[in-house]
Amino acid sequence: MYYRIIRNDILRNKAITLTTMVFVAAAAMLVSLAAILIINLSGAIDTLMTRAKTPHFMQMHSGKMDTGQLAAFAAQNGDVAEFQVLEFINVDGARIVFEKSSLADSVQDNGFSVQSEKFDYLLDLDGNMIRVSDGEIYVPICYMQDGSTKVGDTVEVFGREFIVGGFLRDSLMNSLLASSKRFLVSRNDFMGIGELGNVEYLIEFRLKDISALGAFETAYTSAGLDANGPTLTYPLFKTMNAISDGLMIAVILLVSVLVVMIAFMCIRFTLLAKIEEDYREIGVMKAIGLRVSDIKKIYLAKYAAIAAVGSLLGYTLSFVFRDMLLENIRLYMGESENASFALLFGIIGVLLVFLAIMAYVNGVLKRFQKISPAEAVRFGISQEKSAGTRLFRLSRNRLLGTNVFLGIRDVLARKGLYATMLAVLVISAFIIIVPQNLYNTISSKGFIAYMGIGQSDLRVDIQQTDNVSEKAAEIAAAMEADSTISKYVVLVTKTFRVKMEDGSEEQIKVELGDHSIFPIKYAEGGAPATGDEIALSVLNARELDKKVGDGITLTIDGQEKNLTVCGIYSDVTNGGKTAKAVFADPSADIMWSVISAELSAKSLIREKTAEYAERFGFAKVSDIDEYVVQTFGSTINSVRKASQAAVGVALSITILVTLLFMRMLVVKDRYSIAVMKAFGFTNSDITAQFVSRSVFVLLIGIVLGTLLANTLGEALAGVVIASFGASSFEFVVDPLAAYLVCPLLMVVSTLVVTIFGTLDAGRIKISENIKE
Amino acid sequence: MKKMIVGENILKSFGEGDDKRNVLDGVSVEINEGEFVSVMGPSGSGKSTLMFALSGMDGIDSGKVTFDGRDLSTLKDNELADIRRAEMGFVFQQPTLLKNLNILDNIILPSMRDHREDVSKITEKARLLMEKAGILELEKRGITQASGGQLQRVGICRALMNQPKIIFCDEPTGALNSKSANEIMGLLADIHRAGTTILLVTHDVKVAAKTERVLCMFDGQIAGEYLAGAYDETRNDLKSREESLTTWLAGMKL
Repeated sequence: MYYRIIRNDILRNKAITLTTMVFVAAAAMLVSLAAILIINLSGAIDTLMTRAKTPHFMQMHSGKMDTGQLAAFAAQNGDVAEFQVLEFINVDGARIVFEKSSLADSVQDNGFSVQSEKFDYLLDLDGNMIRVSDGEIYVPICYMQDGSTKVGDTVEVFGREFIVGGFLRDSLMNSLLASSKRFLVSRNDFMGIGELGNVEYLIEFRLKDISALGAFETAYTSAGLDANGPTLTYPLFKTMNAISDGLMIAVILLVSVLVVMIAFMCIRFTLLAKIEEDYREIGVMKAIGLRVSDIKKIYLAKYAAIAAVGSLLGYTLSFVFRDMLLENIRLYMGESENASFALLFGIIGVLLVFLAIMAYVNGVLKRFQKISPAEAVRFGISQEKSAGTRLFRLSRNRLLGTNVFLGIRDVLARKGLYATMLAVLVISAFIIIVPQNLYNTISSKGFIAYMGIGQSDLRVDIQQTDNVSEKAAEIAAAMEADSTISKYVVLVTKTFRVKMEDGSEEQIKVELGDHSIFPIKYAEGGAPATGDEIALSVLNARELDKKVGDGITLTIDGQEKNLTVCGIYSDVTNGGKTAKAVFADPSADIMWSVISAELSAKSLIREKTAEYAERFGFAKVSDIDEYVVQTFGSTINSVRKASQAAVGVALSITILVTLLFMRMLVVKDRYSIAVMKAFGFTNSDITAQFVSRSVFVLLIGIVLGTLLANTLGEALAGVVIASFGASSFEFVVDPLAAYLVCPLLMVVSTLVVTIFGTLDAGRIKISENIKE
Repeated sequence: MKKMIVGENILKSFGEGDDKRNVLDGVSVEINEGEFVSVMGPSGSGKSTLMFALSGMDGIDSGKVTFDGRDLSTLKDNELADIRRAEMGFVFQQPTLLKNLNILDNIILPSMRDHREDVSKITEKARLLMEKAGILELEKRGITQASGGQLQRVGICRALMNQPKIIFCDEPTGALNSKSANEIMGLLADIHRAGTTILLVTHDVKVAAKTERVLCMFDGQIAGEYLAGAYDETRNDLKSREESLTTWLAGMKL
C-alpha cells in the first residue's frame, strides 16, 4: 500500500519531488565530500609530519647564540629525544629572481637552508628526503603552484645561478599562512649565500613523549635559553598545515548547511501543503482509530524514498568532485595513508544527512497530534487562526486592486507556508548584495588611497638593479625637463633595523621621500612631515605594537635614531609591511626606488608610459591603473567573479524555489482557483494573484536580506577586506546595483517564474475541481 | 418567451479508448427567460455535466450552446469568465467558499473583481442580501463558524451579488437537512419570483416538485420532460405535485 501511495504522490508532484531530491543530493554530496576531505587532510598531514619528522618544539632565534648552553640543556632534560640547531638565511625577495619575475612582491619571508641530518626533513613530491647537489635548488611548493618556476629553470640569488632540481614539502612552513618559506640548497652553496643574508636559527627538539610538551616548554623558558624569536610547537604546525584546506572544508560544510536548510525548507513547504490538502483524510484516519504513528508512516515512507535516492545520488556525485578538491591536499601534503577510511566516513556523512532529513520530517509531522478528527472531518481545514488578517478585509479594502489584495491576504493568512519561501529569498538577497558591496568597495577609484597607493598617473619602479639612486636621479632629471609632467616625487626604500622593546631587533622597510606630493589615506594620524616622524603600515604597527604618538628606534649605520609614529595607514604593497619617513639617509644601500608623476593631461598617460619605458629600459614604467591591476587586480577579479557567481547562484535558487513553490501552490489551491474561476475570475486574475503573492514575499525578502547584508554582511565583508591589509575603509555601496539592479533582477526573475509556474492554473477545470 | 439558453445536440465524453464514455450524448435543451427548471436523473446520468456545459464552465466535444444569443463555444476563456461573473450565478452542493476570507468578503468577492462600484455600496448590497437570507449576523465570521445551511445561503447571496440573469444550482440542498433544504428552496423561489431564471440539478423529488419544469436525464440523454407549472405556496398543493412527479418518474422506467 505504501508503495502505491508514494508512487502516486511522487507522480503527481514530479517537479517538487525532483527538486527536493536535487537539494538532498547536493547536501549529501557536500557533506560526503567534507568528510572525505577531512579524513584525507588529517591523514595526509600525519603522513607528512611523520615522514618529515617534524620537531615537537621549535624556538626561532636571531642574534648571537650559545650552542653549548643549548646542548647541555638538551643532554640534561630527560624528555628530549633529539636536538638540533638549523640555520636559516633570510634573503630579501628582490634578490631571488626567477626566469620570469623576482620575489620582490612576495609577501613571504624567503630564506635558504640545508637538509637537516636528524629530523625536520624537507621532502620531495614523492615524500622522500631530498638529497641536493651543488648548483641545484629545491623550491617551496607554493612557487610551483603559482607558476613562478618549474623544474629545470634557473633561479638567480645574489647573482648566483641555480637550477631548479625540484619542489619541496616543508612540514613546518608549507602553509601559506606560515610567513617564512625555506629554499633548499647544498651545504657548499649555502655557505656562499650565508654571507649575504641575515642568519636566523631554528632551535629544534623532538621529545620522547609529545605529552610532555607543556612541561618541556616551561623548562625551556625557565632555563633562560636563547629565545629571540617566536616559539612554535607540534600542534601549531599541525594547525597551520590544516588551516588553508581546512578553510575550504569549512566553506564546503557551510554551503552544505545552507543546502540542507534549503532541502529542509522544500520538505517543510511540501509537507505543510500536503497536510493541509489531506487534512480531512488525516482526520478520517484518526477517527477510524489509526494511530498517529501509523499515519506518519505513510508520509515518512515517501520522504525516506526521496532522501534515500538523493543521498545515494549525492554520494555517487561526490566521487566526481573528490579528486578535484583533493588536488591541493595531495600537492602540499601528499597522499593520505588512511584514504580508504575516507570512503567509509563519506558514507557516514551521507547517512547523517539522511537521518537528519528523516528526523526533520518526523518533527514536522508532529502536528498530526494537534489535528482534531471531529474538526477535520467537519470542516476539512485547519482551524488555526491567523493573527493580523482579521483586520485585513476585502470589504475594507480601498487601496489595492482585488487581485493584489487577495494575493497579499493569502500570504498573511498562511504565514507558515510562505515563511519558507521568505527564508530562501532573504538568503538569496543576502548572497547577492554582500559580494556586490564587497566588490564595489575594493574596486572603487578611491580605494587605492586606502591601500597605501597615492593617486598619481605614472609610476616608475627601479629595482633588482645596481646604482638605484643614480638611475632614479637620471629619471628625475628627465621628468624635471618634461613640460608635460606637472609634478613628481622620488621615493626610495631602504631596510633598517628596528629595536624591539625586549631588546631584539627586526628589519623594517622604510620608504623615504616627500609623502605629501601624492598623499595616501591614513587610518590614524597623518603623513610624516619632519625628520623625526615615521608612519607605519597597519601590519607593521600591529607587529611592532605601536600606536600614533609612540616612539620607535631605528638603527642606522650603528647609530640609534628615535622617531615618533605620526600615522598608521593600510597597505597592500610589499606584503603590507611598510613604513614611510622623510629623514635623510646618505647610505647607498637602496632596495628599490619608486618615482610617481602626475601629467598635465590625462590623455598623455599611455604615450608617456611608453616613452619612459622605452627611454629607461632598466625601470618598470606603468600607469597607476595598470599598477593597481597588477598589485591587487587578481583579488578584485576574484571578488568580481565571486560576486557574479553569487548573483548567478542566488538567482538560480530564487528561480528554482519560486517555480517550485508556485507549482506546488497551484496544485494545492486548485479548489480555490476553480471556485474563483466559476465566479468569473479570469486566468490573468489568477496569475495576478499569484504574482502579488510572490512579489509581496520577495519584497519583504529583499528588505530583510538588504538589512541583513548591511549589518551581518558588512561585518563579514570587513573581515575579508581587513585580510587584504586595509583596516579602515568606508564601505562603498553602489546604490544603483545594490538597491535597484539586483532587486530588479530578482523581481523580474520572480515575476517571469511565477507567471510560468502558474500557467497550470489556466488549465484547471472548474467542473473537475468543484466536486459534489 | 425569450430563449435564454439553447443547447443543440451536445456531445461530451470522458475517458479515452475503450474507457471512453459519452456523458452527454446528443442532448438538446432550451431554457427560457424567467423559467424555474430542474434536472433530475440517477447518479451518473449527466445532470451536473449538462449544467457545466450549459453555463460554459466546461467545454463540449460537439454541438452548440447559445447563451442569450451568444455561441459559448466561440468565446475565449476570459469572455466566458466575464459572462459567468456578470450574467450568471452559481450555487453548488458544497458551499465552495474561500476559507481565507470571512463570510462578507466571500459574498462580495465576484463584485470586487470589477470594482465598478464603490466598496461601501457593494458591501451595502451584500448586507441587504444577507438580511433577506437571514444571515446578517454572520458577516464577520469565518466560514468554519457557520452551519451547512447558513453557508449555502452565503453561496446564494454571492450568486446574487451581480444580479445575474440566471442562477445555476447543482444539488443546492443535497448536503442539508429537510428544514434547511426547505428554507433554501424558499429563498430560491423568492429569487425566481423576482424575475431570475433558475436551472437546478437535483435528485430530490421534493425539491423538483417546486420547479416549473422537470427534465429527466438518463444515460447522457434527456429521457423526458415534465411540465409542473408554477408552484404557488398558498395553494398548498405541494404533496400532490410531488406525487404526480413521482408517478411520472416511475413511468419513465429509468
